[in-house]
Amino acid sequence: MDQIGIGSGVKIPDALIEKTQPGDSPTRKFSDALRNAVDDVNKLQHAANKAVQNVQTDNAGSLHEAMIALEKADISFRTLLQVRNKAIEAYQEIMRLQV
Amino acid sequence: MDFSTTFKICGAGLAAARARLDVVTSNLANVNTTKTEDGGPYKKKSVSLTSEPIEGKFNSVMADALKSVKVEAVTEDANAVKMTYEPGHPDANADGFVATPDINLMMEMANMITASRSFEANVTAFDATKNMALKTLEMGR
Repeated sequence: MDQIGIGSGVKIPDALIEKTQPGDSPTRKFSDALRNAVDDVNKLQHAANKAVQNVQTDNAGSLHEAMIALEKADISFRTLLQVRNKAIEAYQEIMRLQV
Repeated sequence: MDFSTTFKICGAGLAAARARLDVVTSNLANVNTTKTEDGGPYKKKSVSLTSEPIEGKFNSVMADALKSVKVEAVTEDANAVKMTYEPGHPDANADGFVATPDINLMMEMANMITASRSFEANVTAFDATKNMALKTLEMGR
């Protein structure tokens, strides 16, 4: 998002500009953040799968733990979906720009 | 406070309600049990619950206030034995009395209802939290 460079030329209120400390590495990319989010959601999906398997095979886990794991996976997936929708929205907004 | 901590507390509450219901089931099933491995009749059991601090990311006010729950112990009531006159019973003593568990069926039914209602309450709290999370995702649409 840095490449767009909306900061140059246009005056943006200070509150909207992300403050980076001198120590912070400015190289944290949007794609990395997205990949981490996908990984986390995937982990939760696997955990939910495992919980359901435990209930069905050897009755090791309790039913409510499995349901909670499923709901957690559901909510995290929906969150990721919203992030994706926002990203696509921003992309399409940029594509609609008049040159 | 994040949603997954709430889910954890809900899960602990559900597990505690399940434990209470399990013990009630055991008491009801053994209402006529006159012989156990320890000798003597079945002893009425009850669950005691204790609160437990939870680790999570909240501010200091919430960290002290919020507690999870867990089963502290299942205790036996050693005195819950009554002698009934039943001379034909295989476990009857010389005078014809049998030691049977002193379990009040009405009390157990009441305990069962409170355990199952508290389970329902925890499920409702879970659903409310989930709906809150899903509503949050609808922000800005």
